[in-house]
Order: sequence, then structure tokens, then C-alpha cells
Amino acid sequence: MKRNTIVIGITLLILATFAWAGWANWEYRKQAAERALAAASHAELVPATAGDVSAEASRLTGNPAPDFTLQDLSGASVSLTSFKGKPLLINFWATWCGPCKIETPWLIELQNEYGPKGFQIIGISTEGNDLKPDDKDGWAHDKAAIAKFVKEQRMQYPVLINGDSLVGKYGGLDVMPTSVYVDRNGKVVAVQLGISSKEDMAAHIEKAIASGS
Amino acid sequence: MDLARIRLICAAICASLALSGSASCAQDGLMEKPHKSLLRTEAVEYLYPEQVTLPAGKSSPVTLHFRIQPNLHINSHTPREQYLIPTVFSIPESSGVRLADATYPAGADFTLPADPNEKLLVYSGDFAIETKIVATPGDHLVEAKLRYQACDQNACMPPKTITVPIDVIGK
Repeated sequence: MKRNTIVIGITLLILATFAWAGWANWEYRKQAAERALAAASHAELVPATAGDVSAEASRLTGNPAPDFTLQDLSGASVSLTSFKGKPLLINFWATWCGPCKIETPWLIELQNEYGPKGFQIIGISTEGNDLKPDDKDGWAHDKAAIAKFVKEQRMQYPVLINGDSLVGKYGGLDVMPTSVYVDRNGKVVAVQLGISSKEDMAAHIEKAIASGS
Repeated sequence: MDLARIRLICAAICASLALSGSASCAQDGLMEKPHKSLLRTEAVEYLYPEQVTLPAGKSSPVTLHFRIQPNLHINSHTPREQYLIPTVFSIPESSGVRLADATYPAGADFTLPADPNEKLLVYSGDFAIETKIVATPGDHLVEAKLRYQACDQNACMPPKTITVPIDVIGK
């Protein structure tokens, strides 16, 4: 009788040990998952829908367009200040962006239509690939893809590269395309995220032309 | 008989203590490498499995489930246009786990309202990638990767690579 009690007791002890080990393991994994989830859920700006202007981008409106100096595809440096006195559309786009491809023919037509009034479009390729300055192969690949896009789409207005370096100045640039309309005085009059229509763009351009007159 | 029973009980106690000890040891190791589970991103979220147990050294099927946020789509693994960025799943080489094969869903036709002539091949909603994975013996906290590029009907977000955390146990 006494021996049986000991056996039962030891068996229960073993089962309890197994149960404890399983519970401890499950609890640990649960806590690890919660820690990982907390670490991963950092704040990240994401557009709700195209056309909505993020809080960062909307801060540009009414303020001077942030200055920049970028290279074009030939390697020449181009600054925003070189377009001083002109109403501008600074159009951030990317080679992988379908809506940008749709918008490009509109931009070409708008440049032709409003160019005689002093209006100028500046395209800035913003590939979002975080290339380091010394990544020669990466930049060469990037430039080749941009040059191909420019040629295929027959983009006649100035196209600059490395728009990613302007993320801090131009409100995140986490939506492509992003269009920034600037009047003759260098002030941002409108910011548009995503595409809408050629007519909407024309209205913004006319606003930029009229605003600085 | 009694001696045999006692030996059996002793062996069971030793085994249970070893098991609980190894669990503790495993936890100590894991503390240095946090298990990134249930990773959420704004466009694509990895759903499951969090943990798989596979026969070590053998190519084994594992289906990975993902969810794309409403109103967004990502390019399929084989987009029709060369300029689009494909969805690609990968496993780092040094993880003790090898990706032997990956079969992606075909994707669905999608047309942007502004360009009805171009049909894109995309994933939206929930989708699954059927992989074949080979694991070495042991517990591997694999941080696999999914690279994708998401858009809605009017705009796109930059390409992104998310971590796909899977606890792979090779037995």
C-alpha cells in the first residue's frame, strides 16, 4: 500500500514536471511574440488613399519649396534655385510605379501646353532603394532603369535622380507619384499624392501660375 | 520486479528533469535573439505558421500565409511588365534552414482605372506561398524575408522587405 502511494506520488511529480516544462515553454514563446510585435509596430506613415495629403506633406503647402541640388542622368548638378522665378511642378516618381507611368503622358502634354507661360516640370526619380553613395553597381543599375523609362516614355522635361535624399525635406515621399506645385515666388501652393486626372493637374498648374503673378 | 519499477521511475524523473532543463537552456539562448513573431506591416502581414516541426535533412512542404491590407495589391511573383517589382520570398543562408523550392500563386488580373488597357497580375487579400524547406537538426528561429511592392488604384509605396519569423524545429 505504502509502496503504491510512493509510485503514484512519483508519477504525479513526473507529470507535473512535464506540465510545468510545457507551460513555461509556451509562456516564454508567447512573451517573445509580444516583444517582437511591440518592436515591429513602430510608427509608419501610410497613405489611406491616393490624393490624401499626409500630415508631413501638407506642411509644405504655403511654405517655400525646400531647396535641393541633384544630378541629372548626364551627371550634371541641377538645383531648384536654377528655376527661380518659374512656376513649377516637382514630380517625384519611380520606375516601378504603374500610376507614374500612366501620369507621364499627361505631364508631357501639360509641359507643352503651359511651357509657353514659363511653367516647368521637374521629374525626380525616387526609387526607394536606399542605395549607399559608394554602391557603384547599384547606382549604375538605377540610372540605366531610369534612362530606359525616360526614353520609352519620351520625357522631355528635366529628370533628376536620387529623390530619396529629399525624403526628409519633402515630407516622407512614401507615396509615388507625389506632385508638388510651386509658384513663381518659390512657395508651395499644392501637394498631390498619387494620380487623379490631367484636368486636376492642370488646375493646380494654373493655380501655381496665377499665385506668383 | 520492484527494482525494475524503481529504475523505470528514476529514468522517467531524469528524463523529465533533462527536458525541463533543456527548455530553460533554450529560453536562455532565445533571450539573445528575440523571436519576431506576428510581425505587422502596413501593406502585408505574415499570418502563419509561427512554428513548424520537420524531419531533419528532408525537403518538407510548408505553406506560408500572408494578408494584404484592404484596397492594396502587390505584384505577383511573375508580373507581366519587366519594370514592376516581383514578390519574392527568401531564407537567409546562415539560418540552418534552406529554401528548396517556392511555388507562388498565379495572381489575378487587375486593371488601374486610369489605364484600362493594361492588365496587371497581382495578389490582394490573403495569399499563400507553398515552400519546400530543408532544416538541419535543432531549433532554428528563422527570419525569412518577403520583398514586395504595394500599390492602390492611384499610387504606389516604395518596395519593402519584411521579416517572416518562423520557428523551424528539425527532428
